[in-house]
Amino acid sequence: MQRPAYSNPAPAHSPPLHHPVPQHVSTVPQLRSPPPPSTSSQGYGYPQQGQQQPGGQQQPGYMHQNFGAGFINDPTAQMGFQVGKSAVMAGQEYMEQNFNRYVNVSALKHYFNVSNSYVASKLYIVLFPWWHRPWSRQQRLANNGQDGFYLAPREDINSPDMYIPIMAFVTYIVLSTLLAGVRGAFHPELLGITATTAFAVVIFEILGLKLGTYLLSISSESQLLDLVAYSGYKFVGIIVTLLLSEILNRTAFGTGGGGTGGWVGWTVFLYVFLANAFFLLRSLRYVLLPDTAQGGGAGSAASYTVARSQRNRRTQFLFVYSYVVQLVFMWLLSRQSADPKVAKA
Amino acid sequence: MAFFFGLGGLFYVSVLLVNAIAILSEDRFLARIGWTSGSDPGFGGMQENSVKAKMVNLVSSVRTLMRIPLIVINTLIIFYELILG
Repeated sequence: MQRPAYSNPAPAHSPPLHHPVPQHVSTVPQLRSPPPPSTSSQGYGYPQQGQQQPGGQQQPGYMHQNFGAGFINDPTAQMGFQVGKSAVMAGQEYMEQNFNRYVNVSALKHYFNVSNSYVASKLYIVLFPWWHRPWSRQQRLANNGQDGFYLAPREDINSPDMYIPIMAFVTYIVLSTLLAGVRGAFHPELLGITATTAFAVVIFEILGLKLGTYLLSISSESQLLDLVAYSGYKFVGIIVTLLLSEILNRTAFGTGGGGTGGWVGWTVFLYVFLANAFFLLRSLRYVLLPDTAQGGGAGSAASYTVARSQRNRRTQFLFVYSYVVQLVFMWLLSRQSADPKVAKA
Repeated sequence: MAFFFGLGGLFYVSVLLVNAIAILSEDRFLARIGWTSGSDPGFGGMQENSVKAKMVNLVSSVRTLMRIPLIVINTLIIFYELILG
């Protein structure tokens, strides 16, 4: 009761993209450092109150008035406060407009609209894709009935998201550097090298895929971020490979000393690679082979008759991409040498 | 050790490859192989949808588009290598 700032509503929903505007009369003047609405105004209110009213258990309004007598009633300060607030709002709008021109924020938000159960089931699908039955993405027609759009990942288990690939990417970098540190071969550039290597792998894959779709005249409706997401799912498998081979190679199984060199490492790697290839085959089938997929769907997919040789070539391309390309890249990313100190023993 | 330069080495390799595509001679080399798409008034050329036609298209469009930016990039790289070693 002695802290009126406690009347802040706890944020029950995720805060909007803007800096949240305080819902109450802020007891902290804006002329000082702009505080975030809930916590720091509490903390700020407390020492003020401790100074002014050492024994005060009085009604909340008293502190407002006592404190406000210095600032809020001053019209100049109030005007300055308004000007500052509007300037900050204008700056934020300007930045958002310019930012929205380069990065499609709303499309990105669609990819991050995940839930816990989605993440868990998706990880399960990536690692054990044989037990998943329906692979097609679900669509829903918009209100005008013209352009359908895909459901968000929260509602559709087959929809690709960007949350898992990004987290797996970062985890891969950190894990690989950590394992290097355990081996005693750490130096700070290793983080950067791993990051750029993984980045370059993803970029190369996307380039190859785009080149393939152009050369084979595949008119694909899927977005670029979909392909990035599909390409990022293999980091999950690589993490599993690194972890398992590191742990198991230190027991009596492998050659000892960790690393992905022993046969444990290779077994895990092969399994993960096959799982990833299967996952990609099933997922990219709807991207690369548009006539085997459902014809009626979003928008006007021009269904032209495709020659049989072209269809064979496309299937070959899909296979080559899923297996050979992924094999090369996954091997590249999961290379780790054994611990030199232990392996010699 | 091949990735020591990170993206720098990758950038150099890609610039060199695009340079190689750009300096191929149109009439002495490409016409010999048959990688040009000489557009006759009557359409009797190669079929549009084949892989080879697309590849030829890609090569010729890369050449026409990247000539001038390549000059700029090459100059920058030359200066960089000369001055900064």
